[in-house]
Amino acid sequence: MKRYSAAVAALWLAACASEKKTETPAEKPAPAPASVSGKVVFEGKPPMMPVLKMSEEAACVRLHKAPVRSEEVVVNEGGTLANVFVWVKSGLEGKTFEPAKDSVTIDQRGCTFRPHVIGIRAGQTLVVVNSDPVSHNIHPMPKENREWNQGQAPQTPNLERQFARPEIMIPVKCNVHSWMRSYIGVVDHPYFAVTGEQGAFELKGLPPGEYTVAAWHEKYGTKEQKVTLAPAASQSLDFTFQERGNQP
Amino acid sequence: MSIRKLFRLIPSFALAALLAACGGSKPPAEEPKAPPAPARPIGAAITIQAPLGLPAVPAPAENPATAETIALGRRLYYDKALSIDNTVACASCHDPKFGFTDGKQFSEGVKGQKGDRNAPTVFNAAYATVQFWDGRAPSLEKQAEGPVANPIEMGHTLEGVEKKLSADPSYKAEFEKAYGPGPITYEKVEKAIASFERTVISGNSPFDKFMYGGDQKALSPAAQRGLTIFRDAKKGNCAVCHTIEEKSALFTDNKFHNIGVGVDTKGELTDLGRFKVTKAEADRGAFRTPSLRNIALTGPYMHNGSLKTLKEVVDFYVGGGSSNPQLDKEIKSLDHLTKKERADLEEFLKALTGEIPANVGPPEAR
Repeated sequence: MKRYSAAVAALWLAACASEKKTETPAEKPAPAPASVSGKVVFEGKPPMMPVLKMSEEAACVRLHKAPVRSEEVVVNEGGTLANVFVWVKSGLEGKTFEPAKDSVTIDQRGCTFRPHVIGIRAGQTLVVVNSDPVSHNIHPMPKENREWNQGQAPQTPNLERQFARPEIMIPVKCNVHSWMRSYIGVVDHPYFAVTGEQGAFELKGLPPGEYTVAAWHEKYGTKEQKVTLAPAASQSLDFTFQERGNQP
Repeated sequence: MSIRKLFRLIPSFALAALLAACGGSKPPAEEPKAPPAPARPIGAAITIQAPLGLPAVPAPAENPATAETIALGRRLYYDKALSIDNTVACASCHDPKFGFTDGKQFSEGVKGQKGDRNAPTVFNAAYATVQFWDGRAPSLEKQAEGPVANPIEMGHTLEGVEKKLSADPSYKAEFEKAYGPGPITYEKVEKAIASFERTVISGNSPFDKFMYGGDQKALSPAAQRGLTIFRDAKKGNCAVCHTIEEKSALFTDNKFHNIGVGVDTKGELTDLGRFKVTKAEADRGAFRTPSLRNIALTGPYMHNGSLKTLKEVVDFYVGGGSSNPQLDKEIKSLDHLTKKERADLEEFLKALTGEIPANVGPPEAR
């Protein structure tokens, strides 16, 4: 028995010693980061978006040359879809990342939220701006995070808030102007993007590995795809959303 | 010493200690002597008439208003001599030209110093059961001690004011006319100012004529709809704090509420309000409900003057107040109000502008 325990102890020491070795400065370099990029394709006839009921506030109407339409579905000229939140849904569990150094801004401008869809990291600062000559009242309605509400009269200081926990997606409204809507995606890592006028996204600097990448759209829901990224790989990945309601 | 004498001494001694504590700068060597008997106006007491829509004007037993104290109070109210450098009078921040406020977000005291709360109106302050946004003064009389001795408002001391006024023979004569022979004391000063302020009563507004005067045409149709929204608990629910009674309306419950004003960029309360007085958790960020009478004259609004127009005020309540742990349970978003209903509410608020009594402006130059 004694001999046995001595052997175990020796093994343990050896294991420790070898573990120590890996911690020496001559560390193995991290594998070259990979990236995944692509576009979000729209199929079908783009639905006609209703005009926002800005007539409720004359000062808002005056801020625009033409009536403003809902941004629920924005199909780009090239047949791609804007305002899609793309993020790494799984594969990064247990990893930690440097906290974000910059902030993300949501502007209440022209009596709309700009941008319409926002991605942010948990704990990262969201700066809330009111660029309008009217009062706004931003009211995010999360399920996983603390709900809050804050009025912002014209020419008052910007607000700075954080969301503590990941949440896909937090709807945001303005209590004063019922037509105003925005969506905020909160993730606990830096790998996310929102598609714009090109309908494109790119998630850069990912450690090689297996991931589930997801794309969310406010009308068409969420789609997921699995990818395996080799070191230094530039993987391409497209998503497709279809409009079924008005197919001929 | 008889028991009776002892009992008489205890309160006066306590009062002396309190006054000494308030004065702050009295040399400690001074013997605590019994204070003089309370100053009493010698003239005939006047009943200040309440206009339509307001209840009887409170008249404290220890300070009945007389023609002489009111006139003296009016002179003091408009006199910059009450400030350390003769630059600021009560009327500087509570100016009849701006509905007895100063029209500014924050008031400016001596040497251009700025405070951090919006000057409340003197209109109908007579009815407030406590004074200041946080209710730290129990009466109009005690209120008149605050700004004079506040280093960023009038920057003086109560003793300093007594000395300064005593050096002016015309004041000496006027104080004696009001209170009889004797030195000018700050007690007499504050009583006179309070009596003058009790005459700054404003009612008989279009709302009063409609509500209490039977004049159906006094309110526009929009203002009438606004009144309904104002009172309806399911619509505006404004009257839950800005009260309207059967025979009169103060438009205040004289209580303290946290309505979610004054939350900083990070979501923290910037001014703890009533909490500073009571230290009660529930009072964090709570402020005295201001009356809404003459509200169209007294902008900007809220304890921090953060809202410039009545539209911004209505939009604020539509928004539902900024989130904070002590937000009053009655504060909920009024986003169910339509554009028209919001505009009607604003029209109603504008119908609360009342008549301004005579003889409350600056006294004629002597």
